[in-house]
Amino acid sequence: MSLFWIVIRQLAEIEAMAASKKVITRDEWERKLNDVKIRKEDMNKLVMNFLVTEGYVDAAEKFRMESGTEPDIDLATITDRMAVKKAVQCGKVEDAIEKVNDLNPEILDTNPQLFFHLQQQRLIELIRNGKIEEALEFAQEELAPRVEENQSFLEELERTVALLAFEDASNSPVGELLDVSQRLKTAGEVNAAILTSQSHEKDPKLPNLLKMLVWAQDQLDEKVAYPRINDLSTAVLEDPAV
Amino acid sequence: MPTTTTSSALSQQRPTDLVSRLSSPEPEIKLKALREVKNQIIGNRTKKLSFLELGAIPAVASILSATLAEVDSRFAGGDDINIANKYTSNVLVQSAAALGSFACGFDAGVRAVLDAGAFSHLIRLLSVPDYKVADAGARSLRMIYQSKKAPKFEFLKEKNMEFLLSLLNSESENITGLGASIITHSCTTNEEQRALCDAGVLKKLVSLLEGSLSQRDASLESLAAVFKNNANVISEFVRLERGRVLSSIIELTKDRYPRTRLLACVCLIVLRNTSPQHLQDLVIKTGMVDLLLELLDDPGQVGDEASFVFSSLIAEKEDLQKLAFEANALDKLCNHFQKGQLHPKRLQGVLLALADLCSNLETCRSKFLSLQGLKLVADALTHDSVDVRTASCICLRSVTRSIKNLCAGYFMNEKLIIPLIQLLDDSSVSIQVAALGTISNILIDFTTRKSTFIQYGGVKHLAQLSKSMDSVVRLNALWALRNMVFLSDEKCKEGIFLELTASLLASLICDTEPSVQEQALALVRNLVDGCINSVEYVFSEDGIILDAVGRQLQRTSKAEIGIQGMYVLTNVASGNEFHKDAVMDRLLAQANDGTQSVIIKFLESHDSRLRTAAVWVVVNLTAPSCPGAVARFVKLQNTGVVSQVTSMVNDPCLDVKLRVKMVLNQSYDFR
Repeated sequence: MSLFWIVIRQLAEIEAMAASKKVITRDEWERKLNDVKIRKEDMNKLVMNFLVTEGYVDAAEKFRMESGTEPDIDLATITDRMAVKKAVQCGKVEDAIEKVNDLNPEILDTNPQLFFHLQQQRLIELIRNGKIEEALEFAQEELAPRVEENQSFLEELERTVALLAFEDASNSPVGELLDVSQRLKTAGEVNAAILTSQSHEKDPKLPNLLKMLVWAQDQLDEKVAYPRINDLSTAVLEDPAV
Repeated sequence: MPTTTTSSALSQQRPTDLVSRLSSPEPEIKLKALREVKNQIIGNRTKKLSFLELGAIPAVASILSATLAEVDSRFAGGDDINIANKYTSNVLVQSAAALGSFACGFDAGVRAVLDAGAFSHLIRLLSVPDYKVADAGARSLRMIYQSKKAPKFEFLKEKNMEFLLSLLNSESENITGLGASIITHSCTTNEEQRALCDAGVLKKLVSLLEGSLSQRDASLESLAAVFKNNANVISEFVRLERGRVLSSIIELTKDRYPRTRLLACVCLIVLRNTSPQHLQDLVIKTGMVDLLLELLDDPGQVGDEASFVFSSLIAEKEDLQKLAFEANALDKLCNHFQKGQLHPKRLQGVLLALADLCSNLETCRSKFLSLQGLKLVADALTHDSVDVRTASCICLRSVTRSIKNLCAGYFMNEKLIIPLIQLLDDSSVSIQVAALGTISNILIDFTTRKSTFIQYGGVKHLAQLSKSMDSVVRLNALWALRNMVFLSDEKCKEGIFLELTASLLASLICDTEPSVQEQALALVRNLVDGCINSVEYVFSEDGIILDAVGRQLQRTSKAEIGIQGMYVLTNVASGNEFHKDAVMDRLLAQANDGTQSVIIKFLESHDSRLRTAAVWVVVNLTAPSCPGAVARFVKLQNTGVVSQVTSMVNDPCLDVKLRVKMVLNQSYDFR
């Protein structure tokens, strides 16, 4: 967060200086940036936060050893979380459910929407595998009661069951349910719920910092011309077009 | 390895088979069945119920107790205290998790778990050195304590406080969470709140605010329980760290997690409702209103609860209702409503929030009506859920307090009247009472459209309910009838009287409940008000009603009953000679204590309202235009009534004084 406020402060300073658009040269800019002090530990924590949240368990372990940065979570739980995520991504939803329940039985018991989405994904997988009778039975036995408990699930159930009505389901109006993206969506939802249950934020902080950088640059553009970072992947300062 | 992890629905084993496998002599089969039961019931209420009916809960509980006994015997035999056996540890974890899931959000499950005697076993798990086992036990106990069915924890009993502190001091998040849940569930009396503070729990809970997400939430809930209605504890709390702790809770209303924001808000509201001198800052008040309105949009449980919390913030507080109005709360709530297909719990909350918003301020009611809210609520009157139907009645009751719209006859329409009348047949007393409350308001209709209500059988229903076994229902039914008879025309009164009958009215005047007696008398008072024909009602069936009124006046010691009874006589005394003489007889009858007459008893009352009513009767009895007035005046003089009235010429109550002057002025004609 500190980086963000530094940029904002600079923004304010610049704003105070001139109302017309001012040019800041590369030298001047680099001098300004040199005055900003960033602690190495903070950087490391941000990196660790990224690795942990995204589930790069081996990298996190290595990074911990090399940098001495302690993760704010037991690394073993990352392995479990990734196993759940992977199971959903491979379409083994039942397996994923069992794993979540082993990790923490409260997650699915107190999160009806997530539970419904996992069951919905199970139904999608049955349909994908052509197990039509089973799919119908499953929809009736498992999903219909959930809809009775919460009417807001009805539309999603209807959309899913509609897959059965088309000969070529994947090219039907509801075909996107069969996409990999649907699995990823469900997997992301489970991942987020597990992270929240571990008191861990569900999104890494690094992307947010970059978003703030882009936003701050956009704000600054209105006031001054300055060396800008246009390519986030290289973070090269590019001279202002004067 | 389990072989059932394919994506086939049919690979799931049937509940009956699974339950029988729970008692298998084969350890592996038993463990697998246990795990399968757990996985089938988690998140699945239907399955919880069917396994419960198959007796799975006692079966799981007995596995837990048997395994614990085995651990004990091994420990006694000198084995290592650690459960070296992975199998045993797994069985303990799985059975605790299954029991916890049965108890999660499912009251019947909680009861069954308690009945199976699992509670003490789960407590035992907390002291098992294997942290996974202890954690599973704590989690399940927390589920149980989230239900109202959980047994009350007796804080004041010796050693219990010690146990609680050991939980709160634990390293494990689940165990500290359990400690907090116990407080949230069981701390109710001021004495318990005091004891918890004295034991240092307040500080402990404050330190948990710095902990993990779940610890913070649990701590906020517990703090609310410790604060509730206890100004002493609150004043101790606000002084902690020179107010920094209170500020940190205010800060938590801006937390990134919606649940934390909601719970911080609950905590502040409880604090404020108990000790109104705190949190009067306008910024904080507006902040809470805005926050709760924003949380309504949360799709989950937080959104469901937000409206109830909102109600607790604004109920009976006009300043906050005004702030909420200015924050567009009505638009927001009505919009929410229009979304349709809301979960019943959410719908109930929104309706109750609207009810509180419209309870005092006319601006809110008109805004509500302008947003077409009436139609939405009318639809909710026929909702499947009892709670929603009740809430919509309560909401309508608030809205129909609008005198302006009552005058315009706006509420007397079929869309409201028909479903409301149908609700009078509801099997739930709370709905009947709520519907009667609304009907009572609507019937204070000043136009002549009361016939609409009669046309749809409303009076029949009200008459029926005035015979209810439940005194609250009788009371409210009479109240509605009383309002209906108020200033109504001859035909309307006749219809009501035919339905009620003189004998029913007489028996209601002598009801066992004083509040019912009062309403019955008030009803008769309105019935005989107006033209002379109306007065005849109390003389039908040999004057059975008038006799009942007279008896009640002789008997009662309650001012409210005396007042209504005296006004019945006042109204009757406005009739003809025969009517007036009948009233004379009732007034001069001896009161039950035998020392004085009814009229003297009331004239001497300490209650000025009662004295006013009593003098009014005398005014009507001695109206000089009637031929019998002189004779009645003489009679009143001989019985000491006139001298009593004369002595009241300087009564401290202006109303009384005025009526006394009227009597004295009239009496000049007779002297």
